[in-house]
Amino acid sequence: MQHEDNPITEYVRRVNEETRRFAYELLTENERLRTRLPVLQRERDDARAEVTRLRQEVERHRRERSDPQEALPGTGVESSAFESRYAELEQQNFSLMNLYVASYRLHGTLRQDEVIATIREIITNLIGSEELGIFMRSRNSSRLRLVASMGIDAAAYDSVPLGSGIIGSVARSGRPFVAEEGRGEAGDHERTLTACYPLKVGKTVTGAIAIFRLLEQKPALEPIDRELFTLLSTQAAMALYCTELHGRLEASAGMTA
Amino acid sequence: MRPRRILLVDDAETILLFERMVLGRGCYELLTAHDGVEALDLARREKPDLILLDVMMPRMDGLQTLQELRKPGPTASIPVIMVTTRGEEKSVSEAFTSGCTDYIVKPINGVELLAKVRNYVGR
Repeated sequence: MQHEDNPITEYVRRVNEETRRFAYELLTENERLRTRLPVLQRERDDARAEVTRLRQEVERHRRERSDPQEALPGTGVESSAFESRYAELEQQNFSLMNLYVASYRLHGTLRQDEVIATIREIITNLIGSEELGIFMRSRNSSRLRLVASMGIDAAAYDSVPLGSGIIGSVARSGRPFVAEEGRGEAGDHERTLTACYPLKVGKTVTGAIAIFRLLEQKPALEPIDRELFTLLSTQAAMALYCTELHGRLEASAGMTA
Repeated sequence: MRPRRILLVDDAETILLFERMVLGRGCYELLTAHDGVEALDLARREKPDLILLDVMMPRMDGLQTLQELRKPGPTASIPVIMVTTRGEEKSVSEAFTSGCTDYIVKPINGVELLAKVRNYVGR
């Protein structure tokens, strides 16, 4: 009996071939898996890192929701700075309103008594003093004449020679006096003088405004007060000058009528 | 809803103009009076939501006006802020005793005025 024809042998041969083929496939698959393993390990590590990152992100958002201040540490400081700046601008705005109101009122009339009343209102209500004197100087005159006052002895200031005391010196020099900047040579009644500003039309001194004690609730002059004084120094002088001209025009119109 | 109505009372046109400029920035209807008699008439007729009241005025001063406003009637509960040069403790006390709601001393600080008005009538 020949081996080739033996069915058992044929069977064994076939099984052997299949086993060999199967083993080859297994080895091939094993090799494939072996090379695939590091890739999968890398992907697993990346996924783990991403999960950790996402967990941290979630935690951060959770904290932000509960405490925005911690999430935006600079916001409080920035907001506070904006608030301060806004308050500063608003105060500047109100100071400008003061100046506008004063100017509007001064030039709203051609009657001298109304201009003088306005000057008193500005000093009392916008600057804060109820002791004041308003002086005017006639052309070529060497004296100041008191035309309005409030809270002072009018008789003591009725007529002030140019160069006499602080008020007279201000009228002669054209330079203002403010008490905290150093006292000038005070006259008998000028001890409580807070400020004296000349009234000037161009370079010509036409009078003066003297402010004595400030209101009790006002400890000192503020920067806006000096701006108001500067405005009064020119605008009030111009307004009074215009009322004088208007008065003369009316008088001459009345004479020729 | 109508805008909040504020009655400004002062004999000084300068102050009335300043108050109008400060409060004109808000949504308020502004009325003005130059003395206590005019103020009482306007207050009873227009029933403002707030009154800014000067003290030193001709015909009827602020304290007398305040006492009249506080009598039983349509003006009794209107908030009144006294606006005055009188900053001494005695004057402040007298104003509150007469029935004012708040107090502002002159020279007026625009920031303070606006804050107090908003406190009573909103923006």
